[in-house]
Amino acid sequence: MGDNNITLFGRIGRQRKLRAQICAERDRLYRIAWSWCHDSHLADDLVQETLARALAKIDSLREESRLQVWLTQILANLYRDLFRRVQPETGLEVDILPAQGGPEDATDRSQLIALTREAIERLKDDQRQVLTLVDIAEFSYADTAAILSVPVGTVMSRLSRARQSMREILEKQGIGRAEVVPLRRPR
Amino acid sequence: MRTIDDLELNAYIDGELSPDQQAELLQSMRNDPELARDACALAQLKAQLRLAYADPPKPERRGVSKARASWQAIAAGFLLLAVGLVSGWMLHANVPGQGVESHRFVVLDPEGRGQAPAVADNAETRIVFHLTDPDQAVAGELLDDVEAMLAVYESDGHPLRIEVVGHSEGLDLLRERLSRHKERIHELAEQYANLTFVACQNTINRLKVERGIEVKLIPDAEVIDSGVSHVVKRQKQGWSYIRV
Repeated sequence: MGDNNITLFGRIGRQRKLRAQICAERDRLYRIAWSWCHDSHLADDLVQETLARALAKIDSLREESRLQVWLTQILANLYRDLFRRVQPETGLEVDILPAQGGPEDATDRSQLIALTREAIERLKDDQRQVLTLVDIAEFSYADTAAILSVPVGTVMSRLSRARQSMREILEKQGIGRAEVVPLRRPR
Repeated sequence: MRTIDDLELNAYIDGELSPDQQAELLQSMRNDPELARDACALAQLKAQLRLAYADPPKPERRGVSKARASWQAIAAGFLLLAVGLVSGWMLHANVPGQGVESHRFVVLDPEGRGQAPAVADNAETRIVFHLTDPDQAVAGELLDDVEAMLAVYESDGHPLRIEVVGHSEGLDLLRERLSRHKERIHELAEQYANLTFVACQNTINRLKVERGIEVKLIPDAEVIDSGVSHVVKRQKQGWSYIRV
């Protein structure tokens, strides 16, 4: 086998491995997509389209170690485009109804989950994306900035505001009222 | 002591501070219980978010068509890839003019695009990989592709048989002391009855005579007399031949 063939073989082998890795990212991407839109069908379509686009332009991935960032970038771009077209205003039209119940139920696990998701829904879109990328997908600030094409400083300020809002919303829902300290510490 | 702002506290929770900055912040928290409670609340929120999204609801089946369409799109991608991959190899393989039916792979396309299948759908696809390359990284890539093909054909119900013949310097892949992929080979051989690893006895004899090496093969390798005559036999039997 000549050198050219070995190179070809290596390139095909690399692509093959990458394709398998890309498909293995499906669940992770779905979790991110769902946390953004809270619509399982939309999330599924977004992931499907993300994978298709990634597979189509697999050669544009320069560093394999950046695969997750690269994929999430594609997802974020898709989401942004979709959002622009379909939902010009902030806020989610969600397909799940948050469970009803008073604060006394808030210790219940599923209730906590529902209330947390409900609080996330009320965030502004850009805040929700940053918060979920950092907390759920566990991306670094730098990677989050790269995914959303914004400066790191913007990530940090959106994150801080998002958590502030979350705590306010959750307090109103009765979660953590007893144990969470006042929101604004006097300076 | 300077004040710690929200951004810094968040960065601490997210593990974004340098060790020095962390030490400074921990010191501040010792002197400021309120700051410590704030950090605690943020960490709690973070944990709560992870819990809330650990198990997002999966889409229900929207009628079989949609779900199947997406699954098939992926499967088709893999299959078309397998087609492209194999034809790519064939173009570069040293094919001595007979034995290769390149169009047999066209049957893989579930959409029915491309040429009409030249063989019946239930015809078994048989491929012999003749490995002579000493580079085990190449061998590893070969195993990747073989595994992917086995999985794709199996899930699609297409019968497939693959032989990997270790010959000349390619024998190293099947040697107990030299193989860097023996666990992998064992797993593959266990999982796929239609995959066989074959070692060339001539190569083993030559190593013994010329270099005094007593070759010990991995347990999953079968031995045939001559790698060359074996692959020639396979080609005459209509197997596709791919030299690696």
